[in-house]
Amino acid sequence: MGPASHGGLAVRDVVVRYPAARGGSTTAVDGVSLDVAQGEILALLGPSGCGKSSLLRAVAGLEPVAAGRVLFDGADLARVPVHRRGFGLLFQDGQLFPHRDVARNVAYGLETAGASRAQREARVRELLDVVGLAGYERRAVVTLSGGEQQRVALARALAPRPRLLLLDEPLSALDRGLRERLAVDVRTVLRETGTTAVFVTHDHDEAFTVADRVAVMAAGRVLQVARPAELWRAPACRQVAEFLGYQAFLPDGDGWLAVGPTGLRVVQSEESGPGVVASGEWHGVVAGTVLRRGRAEATVDVDLGAGEQRLVAIADGVELPEDGDKVRLVLDARRCAHVPA
Amino acid sequence: MRRIRWGWLGWTLAAGLPLAFLGVFFAWPVVALVVQGFVAEDGAGGRVLDLSGFAEVLSRPRTWRLVGQTLGQATAGTALAVLLGVPGAYVLYRCRFPGRTLVRGLVTVPFVLPTVVVGVAFRALFAPGGPLGALGLEESFAGIVVALVFFNYAVVVRTVGGLWERLDPRAEQAARALGATPWRAFRTVTLPALGPAVASAASVVFLFCATAFGVVLVLGGLRYGTIETEIWVRTTQFLDLRSAAVLSVLQLVVVVGALLVGARARTRRERALHLSSDRSAAHPLRLRSAVDAVPAAVTAAVVVGLLVLPLAGLVARSFRGPDGTWGLDNYVALSTTGGRNTLAVTVWEALGNSLRTAFLAAAIAVVVGGLVALVVSRRPRAAGARRAVGALDALFMLPLGVSAVTVGFGFLITLDRPLGLDVDLRTSGLLVPVAQAVVAIPLVVRTVLPVLRAIDPRLRDAAAVLGATPGRVLRDVDASLALRSLGLAVGFAFAVSLGEFGATSFLARPDSATLPVVIYRLIGRPGAENYGMALAASVVLAVLTATVMMLAERLRGDRLGGEF
Repeated sequence: MGPASHGGLAVRDVVVRYPAARGGSTTAVDGVSLDVAQGEILALLGPSGCGKSSLLRAVAGLEPVAAGRVLFDGADLARVPVHRRGFGLLFQDGQLFPHRDVARNVAYGLETAGASRAQREARVRELLDVVGLAGYERRAVVTLSGGEQQRVALARALAPRPRLLLLDEPLSALDRGLRERLAVDVRTVLRETGTTAVFVTHDHDEAFTVADRVAVMAAGRVLQVARPAELWRAPACRQVAEFLGYQAFLPDGDGWLAVGPTGLRVVQSEESGPGVVASGEWHGVVAGTVLRRGRAEATVDVDLGAGEQRLVAIADGVELPEDGDKVRLVLDARRCAHVPA
Repeated sequence: MRRIRWGWLGWTLAAGLPLAFLGVFFAWPVVALVVQGFVAEDGAGGRVLDLSGFAEVLSRPRTWRLVGQTLGQATAGTALAVLLGVPGAYVLYRCRFPGRTLVRGLVTVPFVLPTVVVGVAFRALFAPGGPLGALGLEESFAGIVVALVFFNYAVVVRTVGGLWERLDPRAEQAARALGATPWRAFRTVTLPALGPAVASAASVVFLFCATAFGVVLVLGGLRYGTIETEIWVRTTQFLDLRSAAVLSVLQLVVVVGALLVGARARTRRERALHLSSDRSAAHPLRLRSAVDAVPAAVTAAVVVGLLVLPLAGLVARSFRGPDGTWGLDNYVALSTTGGRNTLAVTVWEALGNSLRTAFLAAAIAVVVGGLVALVVSRRPRAAGARRAVGALDALFMLPLGVSAVTVGFGFLITLDRPLGLDVDLRTSGLLVPVAQAVVAIPLVVRTVLPVLRAIDPRLRDAAAVLGATPGRVLRDVDASLALRSLGLAVGFAFAVSLGEFGATSFLARPDSATLPVVIYRLIGRPGAENYGMALAASVVLAVLTATVMMLAERLRGDRLGGEF
């Protein structure tokens, strides 16, 4: 994707610190650089406490930047206060104004921009339509479900046509089914409106659903920025692979062979087909089986060469093993990746 | 946002204005009065510091008896209020039953009733020939403690109930599922969770009990006194400023101690609030189970015996004329100046004075207290600024505990030339409202602050990101959400000003006397006619204050509540 000179957001060596209880300070973001091109959606993915939300708040102007620069369309934002940045921000729990109804929540950003009443009404109707809540104008926000509140919050953030939309774990407070549906909806809405966006999440499925590119963060630093497919195919380091769910690491030349979440398979006694590493075959003991999305998975205790581990193996196309059974296991090369040391 | 100078200027002004107000109208008069007591003529026209007053006053057995009585009365009052208030909090906030709102309102009324009215009500109750005359409580320690509990019951019920209502019931349910009896679950799970609220309420009640003035003066008679009444006696009757100053310092020690305990409990309580759910966890009252029946019985007994009886007695007694017949004689007499012209104004004129001063006082208190709450509700990033905010919070609680008598008398000796300016505030008519505002400010702060603190800071962020300037955030988020609690705060300030007696009794000139001052004067003079008028005037004042509070309560509507 294009560098900052083509427009969009540029983050350069940004450091964010919080004052600690007793003098001193803790560093939440430690020299991060990122680019988000016009119209692109970037996900910031990382475990909780990795500094992704702090980075987002710094971009929004809600946290002071201790060092480094935040630029938009090439202009330094250091002296631009929050309310003049023209960004949108979506919180985990919506943060709707409880004393305003749905329409007046969505209209808030238009009011501060001085839009006329007619413009506001038209835009509110348009946005509620986009998020699938047409006709909800006069509803009180406390009567809405969590998913509806989050849709209203999305409409509110999009209404003033922000130059950049920042989403801070916007789906984490919702239950699983809703979360997956809404993730697709968010992607569609952002695409349709051509919005440039940064999406913070700790859930990789969510990140891969919504984003064009994903930046993996840990301990205040960015480890890798890549398109979802590339991230899966070639994790930049073991930490990234572990966070994505690669479950085992075998010494492999100058690095590691990372076994993906679906990289291990239970096979019939004589099977050896495409994708099966001919050289590698192990015996494991089944500790339990589960059907996940209609597919059989076995939890096995197996020693792949790095001591006995408890791993998950796909048991499709074979007779479902019983607990305590000894099974043959092979690696699926397409579901494994080479990770540099 | 933080880099703009205007923001700093605004916040400095918001903190500076209340500080200046407190400095001129509270700290200065109090300090001046205390200093006055420790300065003596050296015989050559100069003045020297003289601390011999301490030794002299502290060596008097009478002083220690007063200290003992003050602490005893405050301890007994607090213990009893907590003991009765906790079951009340359970019944009124954890259970649902028809008429609950009404009972909650009824319970609140005594807290805002003027002390003089309460004194008169209990006097009528305990007097020989009164409904409880046989108990011999007149001018007794027990009688005063009962009246103090009457006042402060609401403080415990509301403070503890407010937290209890939103305490997540699942912790207690988990304990029950693990085999705990209801009583054990209450003792080991619920009570510790309520601890901070109980401690916070207890410290406030202790403060009110230790510095009670009107009640003790009216009920205690000559036989019984506390540090507070003694300060009054020393200054007004003997002009013995030295003793008064020493006693003020003694009282300050007690007050600061109680405030420190209270402040600690409060921060812990606000932290504990985060653990609670925002939904009410009340269940329908089940009188068949002892868990509900016992607290319900206790609460019913308290409400009827302690709250309704004295008030009903007062009202009933006010309809008996000087000659013992039933009728409106006492109320008709309110348009006179009393038997043998006891008063300089008619009671109705005094009512007018009360309303005028209360309006002014409430306006001042809400502006100053609102600013304090706004500043204190912020959590700045820098540790130093956070500590400063905490200090400001504690500082504005001081007027709750410092003797109103001290404040009033301090006004008299300092405000003839405030800050060296040649305006005599004592004749301007502003003095009484200002003094009443000083007393009401802590209540305004404590009513508005919890609501402001409960606002998620990210709601302000959301508004700012949507393009709202800092000023607009203040208007659209803070002001909009705090508006209802501000209504309650206005009501509180107004009610407290209406009933303020300690400082007003010093400052109000005879022709501008307020209703409580007039009532006290009427009781002090002989004659059944004057006594009857005092009763009628008390009823008028009580009805007025209760109406103001009920209106304010209605304004509040939702459950985001204050502490009292």
